[in-house]
Amino acid sequence: MKKTITYTALFLLAFCFLLPFIIMALGSFKEMKYALLDPLFWIPEDPTFSNYIYLFNDGIFLRWIFNSLVITIIPVFSQMFFCAVLGYIFAKKKFLGREVIFWVFMGVIMIPQQLLIIPKYIMFADFGWINTYWALIVPELWGIMGVFLVRQFLQNIPNDLEEAARIDGANDITVFFKVILPLSIPVVATVGTFSFISNWNDLFQPLIYMTKEEMFPVTVGLASLLGKEGDFGIEMAGSTLSFVPTFIIFLFFQRYFTEGIQMSGLK
Amino acid sequence: MITLNNVDKINEEMEYHYKKNLSLKDRLKRNKDSYSNFNKPKQPFKERVKKQWDRNAIVYIFLVPTLIHFLIFQVFPFAFSFVLTFMDWKVIGDPEFVGFKHWIAFINDKLAWRAIWNTILFSIYYIVPTMALGLILALIINSGVKAAGLFKGIFFLPVVTSFVIIAGIWGWLFRGTESGMVNYLLSFLGIDTQLFLADSGQALMVLAGLSIFKVAGSTMIYYFAGLQSVDRQLYEAARIDGATPLRIFWTITFPLLKPIHFYVAIITTIGSFQIFDSTFLLTGGGPNYSTTTIVFYLYQQGFAGLNLSYGAVLSYVLFFIILVISLIQRKYLGQETNYY
Repeated sequence: MKKTITYTALFLLAFCFLLPFIIMALGSFKEMKYALLDPLFWIPEDPTFSNYIYLFNDGIFLRWIFNSLVITIIPVFSQMFFCAVLGYIFAKKKFLGREVIFWVFMGVIMIPQQLLIIPKYIMFADFGWINTYWALIVPELWGIMGVFLVRQFLQNIPNDLEEAARIDGANDITVFFKVILPLSIPVVATVGTFSFISNWNDLFQPLIYMTKEEMFPVTVGLASLLGKEGDFGIEMAGSTLSFVPTFIIFLFFQRYFTEGIQMSGLK
Repeated sequence: MITLNNVDKINEEMEYHYKKNLSLKDRLKRNKDSYSNFNKPKQPFKERVKKQWDRNAIVYIFLVPTLIHFLIFQVFPFAFSFVLTFMDWKVIGDPEFVGFKHWIAFINDKLAWRAIWNTILFSIYYIVPTMALGLILALIINSGVKAAGLFKGIFFLPVVTSFVIIAGIWGWLFRGTESGMVNYLLSFLGIDTQLFLADSGQALMVLAGLSIFKVAGSTMIYYFAGLQSVDRQLYEAARIDGATPLRIFWTITFPLLKPIHFYVAIITTIGSFQIFDSTFLLTGGGPNYSTTTIVFYLYQQGFAGLNLSYGAVLSYVLFFIILVISLIQRKYLGQETNYY
């Protein structure tokens, strides 16, 4: 009896959580007239690829996807590398001011990013970075949260391996690449997945730094589609396409998301 | 290797206790002595540099650029923003010092207070349901159902999906016409067609619903971690005493999750004060300013109205609110329970 209730609740909730995604996928095969008339999302009567064809013929959408890839992939790899190095430095190295620097870093997490956006806008306007990739890539090259995650992880790892390598004559750089980096693959993957999702999904920053349509990432592009009344099918096709990379990352790295969230308090 | 490591540790510890009992003067003297005692010839400069380099190269190479990056992109904007609140900073032309003009304007700005009130109202609609839904999901997942991992993934999916996608669907579901899906379903319950996003009383609730759906999955993860650390013996003891499942929940599970309730409440509150995307995407702050939140108002003033200094004031207001919330967290939670 108790089991039945649990499973009923489970399936109902799972259905509710999946419903928007089902609507999105089905809606992308609908022509506009059906999309607006049909209050339910049932399988479209005459499914059509016209929405997708429209998006692929309309070069600007592919450009948006390309922009998103650029401003996502470079920070992802850079964050994985720099957060690993910095995490290692803060976990294992002894140098003057280590604790102070680290806690200043951690204190800055409390500053809402919205506070930095206006001064950064003025700065980037001065640098000539508005409507360039620099504005979205350079500030994201490393992240405090990532450093924190790697540091937490490495602090729980004994020093023996590192010492062994040192006795064999390895210097710092060798130790990092041969010993530390291979060890921290799980946590570095966590940093990468979070970086991917936050950069790919970011709306606020590109909205401000990118004013030319051809420089929009896909989030801002979709938002501009959303503003146009009635293009539901195209909007859903665009959403589906922009969802695909997220979903692939999600399928492969789901474990890292949950571990990362537990470890860090990220949202 | 293990012995080597131990020797290191013992040395370190001895050194620590030793140093603690010596005054600075003694320590300096001893350092000097130790050089002469061991009769160690001072290493040539080159070799010392090489040793330092082998030991700490990575620190020198990576920490300096990081600190510069940190100063440029975090510390400087933070300070600059504060200076900005006392300036009239047109995009073109020279900045002009205006003192507290923008702060006074903020105090007298009814719309700004409306935005703060809207944000508080949003938190009221959003925090408790998010926590409750997260807890329910975690309880179900934790109750030993089959394929728990798969369902956990389904509930977590919205967390990684962009607001733009979810808002697009949400706007369609909550269309304020008879052909909107939610209105269609409500009509079976005999409820009249609702305006939803076009109704100033409902719009904020609909946006809160969107956020609850988006974030509940991450709340679930915190609660799930908390539930797994609850001692199973407590449940068994209660069961032997004949407690009902509901009673077990209210007297054991719920109170034991207290640190997690508090933690989740804090991060959800902080998140709710930063809400922007859904307002921007679905309502544009309307109808009748009922969904104008702090960050949306900041965006409107700062970028749409190009009143950058006033935007900076609003961003500092947001900062102070979040600072207070964080300080409460620190006071009641302490450092070590901050992170899981």
